[in-house]
Formats: sequence, structure tokens, C-alpha cells
Amino acid sequence: MNKEEIRQRLKDVQSLPTLPPIVSKLNQMVSDEDVTAVKLGRIIEKDQVLTSKLLKMVNSSFFGFPQRISTVSNAIVLLGFNVIKTLIVTSSIFEVMQASDIGLFEHSLGCATAAGIVAKKLGIKNPEEVSTAGLIHDLGKIVLRAELPEEYEEVVEIARKHEQYMREVEKEILGIGHGEIGGILARQWNLPERLVYPIEYHHKPEASPDFKEVSAIIHFSDILIRALGFGFGGDPWVPPLDHSAWARIKFGKREMTHILEEVDEKLMELQDFTLDIHKDEVETT
Amino acid sequence: MVLAKEAVTPEGQVLCGAGTELSQEVIARLTKQEVLTLTVEGHPVQLPGEKGLAEKLKELDHRFLKVKNDPVLKALKMLIGEFWVVQEKGEEFLQNLKKSKAK
Repeated sequence: MNKEEIRQRLKDVQSLPTLPPIVSKLNQMVSDEDVTAVKLGRIIEKDQVLTSKLLKMVNSSFFGFPQRISTVSNAIVLLGFNVIKTLIVTSSIFEVMQASDIGLFEHSLGCATAAGIVAKKLGIKNPEEVSTAGLIHDLGKIVLRAELPEEYEEVVEIARKHEQYMREVEKEILGIGHGEIGGILARQWNLPERLVYPIEYHHKPEASPDFKEVSAIIHFSDILIRALGFGFGGDPWVPPLDHSAWARIKFGKREMTHILEEVDEKLMELQDFTLDIHKDEVETT
Repeated sequence: MVLAKEAVTPEGQVLCGAGTELSQEVIARLTKQEVLTLTVEGHPVQLPGEKGLAEKLKELDHRFLKVKNDPVLKALKMLIGEFWVVQEKGEEFLQNLKKSKAK
């Protein structure tokens, strides 16, 4: 299978749950300038299951709000519509991930946590959006696993056997890496470019046509979370650092120690969050 | 055990602050208020399934094998290792360890 065939296959992704119908309605509403967070919240809250999933995510420790967010409109005001929309679009993807690959799910939550903390340290506007980019940076791996299970298994097996990075093997076997695959899908779902580029370029952030700083944050957060050994991103190796990207964000020893302290604390809370999800799953089955 | 962070109810209400000594009475009161998690100072309990320090450091080394010549990542690895040592054994232990390595 070559790169073009994979692109075609992605255009008609079958094995992932379809987007909630509410997404297209929300997209239409957002283009209307008169629409308010309260109105949008009311539409989303009609779907109780989606609302409960959404509130669970926005109250999880990787966004780190001190007070509890209890309504969707409140969440839209605090996190911005891009974040809420992305959480809705990807909620079904995360269900697939929780069921099939808890290690990758934890890696993604960890990366979201680290990215939010780094973004806040750098004084980036809307750090929650950067967290969300961290949450879905490995979207390509989930799609690969679901849509091309045989090829995915082959990639995992070769990477394990030859102690290679997974993305090197993806390129050898499929001619395309998970970053690019994730980018294709995120574009298909009309996610904003501020989220698409960090997904697509998280292993080569300087090649990103725009939003290089956010891409650099996701690149480094991925490295940090793998370095800490939280979750499992498909292979155990810390990826190489892009030094030009590092120069954009660069932290000294003292700042980096503070980041480690904050990340460590949040990762402890995240373990409770993933345990809660396991508990909910057991209760509903 | 001493609280390292405020004890907070699931609704976000703060019940007691960092530095509070966790007596049986305090624990019973927090349980009654449905406080689900607490952060305490130091590392008094090893959780089930939690790896020991030596194993964690060995695995850390292994994860960095492919990037061991990168000076920034080498510094990051050292920082994480030292962070774990301080977390489990305290700052004094780390300083003594550094002194004995320097000799």
C-alpha cells in the first residue's frame, strides 16, 4: 500500500465511529455572529451523554481549572469554542482509544497536561487550546490502528523487533508517518489549523507552515511525557529533539524543575481520572 | 503525614490547607465530606504496582538510549533522575550522592 492509497482510504474512514450529528449543526451556528455561548451550550446540553463526557473532560486535571465547570456554556466561555468543538469531534475517538489502547490514551492525556503547563509558562494565549492539540497529537496512530489493523500490527512488530522508532517503520512500510495521517484526518474534520499543524508536525515542528511555537510545545511535551514513562506511545524511545524548536521555547534548569514538579503533580491526578474511566466502564458493562 | 496541598471536596470547597497534620480525626472528617484524593508531603507510601526508585532510574536510562548524545536531552534525563531521587530520598541524600560521586 502506498501513500496515495492510504490517503484515499482515509477519505472514507469506516472503522471509527462517525462524527456526532451535532457537529455540523454547531459549525453552522458558529459562523453566525449573533450566536452566544449560552445558545451553543443549550444545543450541546440536549445530548446528555455528550454533555456528561464533555464536562468530565473539561474538569479533568490536564486543563487544571481550580473551580468545577458545571455547564457547557461555562466551559465554552472558559476554554473557547475551538477546544469544545475538538473535544466533541474526538470524543468518539477517545472511546475507541480507551477500549483498544489505554497506554496511548494515557500518553495523550499526559502530553495534553505537559503542553498546557508549558504553554502557561510561555504566556501563550489560550493554553487550553495547546492542551487540546497535545490530547490529539497522535490521532494518526488511532486511525492507523482502527483502519489498517494488519499494517499497524506489522509496524508495531518490526519497531519492537528491531528496536526502532514507530514512525521510522511507518514510513518504511506505509510511506507516510502518523503525524501526516493525523493531519489529513483533522483537516477532513475541519479542525482549526492551530490544531492541525501541531498534529501534523509534532516530530518536525520547524517544518510547520504556521503556529511553529505551538508545534514546538507539542514536540517537547511529547518528548517530556515519554521521558517520564507515562503511558505508552507505541515504542519506548524518547524521540530526538529538534533544536531549532527547542530554541523557541527553551527553559533553564530552575524553570524546567518547576515544570517537572507541576507535571508530576498533575500526572498523579490524571491517574485518578483514568481509574475513574475504568470504573465507569465496568459499571456500564 | 502532613498535607502538601489543600484538601478539596469534589465540588471544589477547600476544607483544610497545606501543612495540616493528618490525624485520625481529620481523616474521618475528610472522608465524611467525600474528599477523594489527598496529596501528602514526601513519599510515605509505595502504591500497589508502583516501581521502586532503582527500577525507575534503570528504565529512564533505557528510554534515552537512542538520544544519549544529545546534550539537552542528557540534561533533561539527569534532571528527571535527580527529581525522583529528591522526591523519594530527600535533597540531602542527593547532595551526599553527588559529593561521593565527585570524590
